[in-house]
Amino acid sequence: MSLIRLIILSLFIFTQTQADTIYNLIKIPNLEIYDIKTSNKLRYLFAKQPFTLGIEKNINCYNSEKKILDQKYKIIKKNLDRYNQEFLKKINLKYIVMCEDLSISKINTAGIPDHVMKTLILDIKFNKDYFERVIHHEVFHIINDSFKQLFDEDVWSKFNVEEFEYAECSTCTDKLGLDTYKNTNGFLTEYSRSTASEDMAEVFSHLMIGLNLDRLDPILEKKIKFIKTNLLKIDENFIL
Amino acid sequence: MIEKIKASKSEKAILIFIVTLAVFFFGSFFLIKDKCLFVKNYDPLKITFDNPKNIAILNVACGNVIIELYPNISPNAVKRFKQLINTKSYDDVAFHRVIKDTLVQAGDLEFGKKGNLDYGKIGTGKSGLGTINSEVDTPFNFDKGSIGLARGQKYNTEDSQFFIILRDEPLYETEYTPIGKVIYGLEALKKIKYLDKSQYVLRPDFINSLRMLVN
Repeated sequence: MSLIRLIILSLFIFTQTQADTIYNLIKIPNLEIYDIKTSNKLRYLFAKQPFTLGIEKNINCYNSEKKILDQKYKIIKKNLDRYNQEFLKKINLKYIVMCEDLSISKINTAGIPDHVMKTLILDIKFNKDYFERVIHHEVFHIINDSFKQLFDEDVWSKFNVEEFEYAECSTCTDKLGLDTYKNTNGFLTEYSRSTASEDMAEVFSHLMIGLNLDRLDPILEKKIKFIKTNLLKIDENFIL
Repeated sequence: MIEKIKASKSEKAILIFIVTLAVFFFGSFFLIKDKCLFVKNYDPLKITFDNPKNIAILNVACGNVIIELYPNISPNAVKRFKQLINTKSYDDVAFHRVIKDTLVQAGDLEFGKKGNLDYGKIGTGKSGLGTINSEVDTPFNFDKGSIGLARGQKYNTEDSQFFIILRDEPLYETEYTPIGKVIYGLEALKKIKYLDKSQYVLRPDFINSLRMLVN
């Protein structure tokens, strides 16, 4: 029993000292190591205390209860284990930051991808129903940001009917629903209609989770083909 | 005739106390000032190495730091490091970034040379040899004493700057290119000048010399 206590204590001491190293690497304060010994070399970090980011300090996230963190970590890891180390290296993703009530300028968000810092911040309490899908959605933003030339928004937009227009930004619209349409008509969810980038992320995340639709409409077929083709350009072994 | 007065026991005790106090007082000026007092200085010539061709001797204020280089892990980085050692480029270069008990960083050949320090630019200088690609794919434990090449925010920007870690840094694996490990003399690096409020050191300590054991 005392050995277990000693191990737990040594882990606590070990992680405490890493906060400054983490800050030097990814410029996010108040983080500690959750797990770094993963098969695909992703490093999972968690907020030990709330943190604030951004030039205008407009990004906020809070620490979670250990119990919730442990539960959500299993789900996150199960999903992110589907990306191998080579692929993650190509898209520039290495650090997963787990925290809760993540917001940008007081608007709640599921995740904040930053391929430059190789980091994805995930709100572990965001939308229980679609949490797993949301993880892949955010990963797609990293993919997209790292390979902008492949995921051309103009090409993508032309798949839609001529009269359709996306909003200026994902928060410039109230189209936020994440329920999958039964009648797709070119879009999988209401949120797909917000911007081209969100639309792509929705298609990708549905493909990762498994698309259960009776039939695909022709627009969606083109969009799926586009995503699949470009993913194979990044990694010819990528499996959806 | 002057009468000889004997000192009492208590007077003798006070005298001994004052003399002892004086010895400690003046001695402390020398003892405390010598930050290297308890640091062992290793003589590489008295040590047997398995592969002497990969041994480098970093001489700093408190003595020798003996480094084993790992060309099998990072061939290009070690090649660059040896190249700069052989041209004596690291001599008189500052430890410009030092974090107490965490790391020391040196190797800015452009803005970190003794007599030519540029505090505004230190840490951004180049060697003139160009950058080299990161070598981060081979598994490597960044434990205490590990040496890596520093880089900019992006990979493949390594040049001449290197750091030595004074504690285990597991997160550095796959982030930085490892080039070797300190096998003797890490204590001498713990005495390198640091500031409490800044990682960048004003009036820093310098590398005296950095040489390969065998040329």
